[in-house]
Amino acid sequence: MKSTVKYIIALFVAGFLFSSCKKVVDVDPSHTIDGDGFFNTVDEYDFALTGAYQRLKRNGLYGGVNGGSMFLSAADIAADNFYNGPNNLGNLNTAFRWNYTADNASVQGAWDDAYLVIQQANLSMRGIDRFATTDALKVNRIEGQARVIRALMHFELLRWWATDYDRNSTALGVPYVDKFDIEQMPARPTVKQTYDKLETDLKAARTMLSNTDRSIQSTTSTAGTARAYVDRMVCDALLARMYLYANELDSAIKYSTIVINARPLASASVFPLIWEDASTAEVIWSIKYQSGEPALAREVYQTSGDQLSWAPVDALLGLYDAGDIRGDIYWVSRNSRIVLGKYFAKSTASGNPDGVVDFKIFRTGEMYLIRSEAYARKTGMGTQALADLNALRTARNAATGNETGAALLTAIQTERRKELLMEGHRFFDIKRTTRTINRTQDCSTFCTLLPANRAWAFPVPQTEMLANPNMVQNPGY
Amino acid sequence: MKRSLLFSLLVTLISFVAFAQQDVSGVVTDARDNSPLSGVSVFVKGTRTGTTTGQDGRFRISVPANGVLVFSFTGFTEKEVAVSGSSMSVALAVAQTALQEVVVTGYTTQNKKQYTGSVAKVSGSEVNLQPIASLEQLLQGKSPGVLIQSQSGQPGSAAAVTIRGKGSVLGGTQPLYIVDGIQVTGADFQSINPADIETYNILKDAVATSQYGSRGANGVIVVTTKRGKNAKTVLNYDYQYGVQQFPESKLVLMNSKEKLDYEIYYNRPEGLNPFGWSQADYDSLSKINADWEGAMFRHAKTNQHILSATGGNDKTRFFISGSIFTQDGLVRTTNLKRYTGRVNLDHTAGNFKVGISTTVGYSKFSGTDENDNVISTPLNAYRWTMPYITPYLPDGSYNLGDPGDNPNPLPDLFLNTNLNKQLKAIGAISLEYKIPYVKGLSARTQWGIDFTDNQNENYTDLNTQANNVVPGRSGSFNANSLRRIRSTGTTSLNYEKKAGDHTFGIGVFNEVIKRSTVTNGYTGFGLVGPIKNAAGITPGTPTNNFIPRVGGGATEEGILSWFAIANYDYRNKYFVNLTGRRDGSSRLAEGKKYVNYGGVGFGWAITSEGFMAGQKIFDNLKLKVSYGSAGNAEIGDSYEALEQFGPTSYNGIGGLILTNLKKDQLTWETRSTANAGIEFAILKNRLSGGVEVYNSITDGLYLNRLLSSTNGTGSIVTNLGKMRNRGIEVSLSFDLVKGKDLNININGNWSTNKSVMLELDGNDEIVNGISINRIGERANSVYLVKYAGVDPDNGDALYYKADGKTTTNIYDPADAVIAGSFDPKGFGGFGATVSYKGLEVSTLFNYQYGFDIYNNARADVENPQYWFSELSRDVLREWQHPGDITDIPSPFSDFQYATTRFLEKGDFLRFRNIMIGYSLPKSIIGKWKISSLKVFAQGQNLYTWHNFKGYDPEVSTGALTGAHYPALKAITFGASIGL
Repeated sequence: MKSTVKYIIALFVAGFLFSSCKKVVDVDPSHTIDGDGFFNTVDEYDFALTGAYQRLKRNGLYGGVNGGSMFLSAADIAADNFYNGPNNLGNLNTAFRWNYTADNASVQGAWDDAYLVIQQANLSMRGIDRFATTDALKVNRIEGQARVIRALMHFELLRWWATDYDRNSTALGVPYVDKFDIEQMPARPTVKQTYDKLETDLKAARTMLSNTDRSIQSTTSTAGTARAYVDRMVCDALLARMYLYANELDSAIKYSTIVINARPLASASVFPLIWEDASTAEVIWSIKYQSGEPALAREVYQTSGDQLSWAPVDALLGLYDAGDIRGDIYWVSRNSRIVLGKYFAKSTASGNPDGVVDFKIFRTGEMYLIRSEAYARKTGMGTQALADLNALRTARNAATGNETGAALLTAIQTERRKELLMEGHRFFDIKRTTRTINRTQDCSTFCTLLPANRAWAFPVPQTEMLANPNMVQNPGY
Repeated sequence: MKRSLLFSLLVTLISFVAFAQQDVSGVVTDARDNSPLSGVSVFVKGTRTGTTTGQDGRFRISVPANGVLVFSFTGFTEKEVAVSGSSMSVALAVAQTALQEVVVTGYTTQNKKQYTGSVAKVSGSEVNLQPIASLEQLLQGKSPGVLIQSQSGQPGSAAAVTIRGKGSVLGGTQPLYIVDGIQVTGADFQSINPADIETYNILKDAVATSQYGSRGANGVIVVTTKRGKNAKTVLNYDYQYGVQQFPESKLVLMNSKEKLDYEIYYNRPEGLNPFGWSQADYDSLSKINADWEGAMFRHAKTNQHILSATGGNDKTRFFISGSIFTQDGLVRTTNLKRYTGRVNLDHTAGNFKVGISTTVGYSKFSGTDENDNVISTPLNAYRWTMPYITPYLPDGSYNLGDPGDNPNPLPDLFLNTNLNKQLKAIGAISLEYKIPYVKGLSARTQWGIDFTDNQNENYTDLNTQANNVVPGRSGSFNANSLRRIRSTGTTSLNYEKKAGDHTFGIGVFNEVIKRSTVTNGYTGFGLVGPIKNAAGITPGTPTNNFIPRVGGGATEEGILSWFAIANYDYRNKYFVNLTGRRDGSSRLAEGKKYVNYGGVGFGWAITSEGFMAGQKIFDNLKLKVSYGSAGNAEIGDSYEALEQFGPTSYNGIGGLILTNLKKDQLTWETRSTANAGIEFAILKNRLSGGVEVYNSITDGLYLNRLLSSTNGTGSIVTNLGKMRNRGIEVSLSFDLVKGKDLNININGNWSTNKSVMLELDGNDEIVNGISINRIGERANSVYLVKYAGVDPDNGDALYYKADGKTTTNIYDPADAVIAGSFDPKGFGGFGATVSYKGLEVSTLFNYQYGFDIYNNARADVENPQYWFSELSRDVLREWQHPGDITDIPSPFSDFQYATTRFLEKGDFLRFRNIMIGYSLPKSIIGKWKISSLKVFAQGQNLYTWHNFKGYDPEVSTGALTGAHYPALKAITFGASIGL
């Protein structure tokens, strides 16, 4: 009996000891990665970089639903291309009505999501210096891409939040965040300081992307996966766009020329295929959207449900000549309504259009327009400007012209409106040329936006104002 | 009681030969119905001579002359009878008070009189007949300090339970649930049969909750299930049938004529008559008033069958039960089917005692989406579709002709499925060993698991609104599975000693809790054929857009604890309870994983004092105070402290994205509570009650510290706040009439609680959407811009500036002010029970007051931008012409959601339950050879007094987003037969 007792007591004691095992409270995740123990080889940074590309598809940026798509749909809705359609759920009405407030979810979404991409880009460079000597070419490839993505997002932020785009403007720019540090409380630099950082990043990236361990773009891929990544050409295209905004015309001409020479315009027969992701002719970078991901321009026209939130104004439709191939691609008639057809579907899904297509964020068409505008702004280069403009018109089977002087500048803006429809440009094109928005069709009380209005720039989100004592609100908010 | 039984069993095991002087035989019966009691221990007082009664209640024993026999039996009052003559019959009375006064804390069982903590107790039999699948909802209105809010009437839905105020802002606020010693996930109660429950003990103060250490901060609900008795086997069959209906909505929408008038004649930015209705259209459409409610809802039925058996002998006791419960939801297609089984066994063998509790429940639940504002959700779509559009066309097909393209809710409701299947098993085995030679020393170990297997299947038909967002737009089938196993292992050494006036007990415990969760899921597309499940998925190819999506995850976590629980009692007058516990959790940051908790309570039974002996006022008077702490770590996921990267992909290539910020200082929230209470009974125990006051401070409160969102994340969870909950609880019970046949009891309880924010780590306030935490103000206060009505000159909405005086027509979020509170100031319940012979009528009311609800569902139907959908009738008062005095602004005025225009008072009083039952007298049922028969009728939620513009003001989250599936009105009938 006594031995039984001892045995049982021993069992209980053993139970105590067994349970004391520290393993109970030290558990490592199995389905996520602990960042502390990762990023030990340069190859592991590739994973984080892929994440940065994925983040570009956030709701607040390009493709989105319920008040997202602030750098794509909102840039056209806030301008003069659309009026309230019959199925408008009201999600981007604030953009149309220019009545955004600091607590507007869409405004906050744009700010937060752009900085979220920047966060992931910064994480793809965090500590990568450790491999700068041992794996220099790999580092060039990864860091070069991350820097361009980071620069692009800062440039997008600048477009909505700065009141002035001039290269040397002392107006408020946007905080340029170049490292991952959650405790930072950045102040707003000037526009000039923002450009300085942008330029530094892009120039550094350009050097890095010129000398990488391997090709960045897939060399064997089909149109579906081609031009999916940032390479030096993308860097040049962004530089060209940035210099046009900054009014640095020679640089804009220089970089647009590099891209134009590397990637010519698509022929009229190939051009329609671009929009079905069946060709990447003249595409410099397309952000890839796959089945099941957000539809592009859904805020304007939801292809899958045939919901027409925003209808095109007649003044816009009338700009396309009868033979202009863009007219038939960008606009289609569906159930006896004219709807946006530019982002209908990939060719593979044409039977069941769902609006899920790649976002062609940089195309050669824009490069021609950048160069044409830069020439036109310079004195005595009207011929070159017109040549570029007509080259683009010819490629699209549109009528060419003989404009000069102010008429030429107007013609270039008109061509931008036609060519770059729903690619995130219209509102900013009007803004950077300091004009007035004049809507003429079904605009209710929201017809005119004068240059002095506060609505040309978004307010800094209320959450940021609350969190960051160094933040300064935009004028008028 | 338990110990005396064990002792008497011991006595019977030892054969003892006495000098027989006299043989006495007799029968022991239950005083209630004179049925024989088997297993009653009978022994001669002052000796170890004893026996037990047989199946027929009979016994035979040798007794010395003038001996006294002691009869004892669990659950009955012990009785001593002097022997006279050779035969006797003894009736034992049920020890009702003794049973009720036991406090079960999960680790210990103590007499309520000696317990110094705050524990509310609800007996299962009081509440388990209500036609509600999820058992935590049954407790509504029953206990002071326990706020139970159920937002949904969907079958099987879980309620939010808050004990003594929310002690956390971001962390979990739901109590810990312990079923027969095993931690159980509260949200799964749909798969447990409430009729199996014996008691609910709700632990509220710190001396009670500190026993649970890091899991106890939100209170603990300790559930014990029924166990077998040493008695004749009783078979019971229960049947219930019920019908339910929807309450009426106070948010009235336009009828067809009103809506057409609004479209045609009300000026707005889109112009007049945007659909271009002709007079002929108007004439025909205005006559239609489509019955959308009729198309969506039905009178739903509930059915329940329960079969149980309980019994046993002196060594082995059992309780087994099985049940089938089916409940149709009020929204067509929604329903719950539940099947449960339970076996509880106890066996005593010498010094060993083994117990096993097992239950298996399987529930199948067809649901519909709720509490969102998605247009394809049927509970939204039926309110947003036009009143002049009928649900069906004359040929019986769905009418898809809404001019505003508002989706018809019916295809989504009828063609899509949302099926949840849950298999739930809770099992525990315990072994107790009385260590010989050391009197009072015993060891106990219990190991159990809470196993949950959830299978969720969603089919989206290609002819529905929801299909519009499905890739390929050809239907989809989605299946998700979750398997969670939580094991709890508790091992203890317990010692009890009584020495003179001192009684003392201590237990030393070790506990290990591990939880592992595995999830898997996939979504397939292209369900174009007749097969509407996984088999119908079209395989994905690079060209057909049907690439399936798959995913999975797994988490594991553990808690390791050592603790001790002690109690001391001096002459049944002064009582002390002591608890100390050390917990470690895998969730928290390295170096911050362990923390200590403790509690101490003192009690003083004043009526046991000598100086109270003469007084006649108090039958019971007891004071108690306690202080202690418990913790909470229910924040984020299992690896919240780590910097985590989760999987993602771009362009067909896998990658990683940051999914969680590193929190290397993350530790527990600690809630310290001081409690003082008084318990009393006067008028010969007819009026009894208690008052308790408490003050609890949560330290290291989890709050979102705002970060500049320029770093990519706008906030991080940090232990940075401090808040206080302070409250009073009162409960009273009064036996108005206490007679042989007629009994009338009225009872009620009232609780008030106030949560106040004390510290925010240097900040004055933290804003989170429409709520704010500001120092010195109520936690989670409503934070909105104050609406000031409509400017009669131009129809603009007017708002108060932050100063509260000047008004402006410019909405500025910086003008937001504290406009109310989402948490009720007070709540409780009251009721009465009247019984006359076999007839019993009982009622229960519950109430909440002093809180606000943000009515987003109303905002969505008052927003003139949605003119192409159905709108609230109130919008007809819209400002149209200068000089109009109204409360609805012009449609040209910017519509703003975050204003007090949509904030409403939520106060309500609900007629929660009425039960009319009749137990047929023995004289009748005796002829039918059954031992009991009870029939009853019951009404649930028959009426609610409130002013909320919606179905029901019971909203647990503070805001009603939309798609409300409110608590139902129900009438049920039932019968219970005992064999």
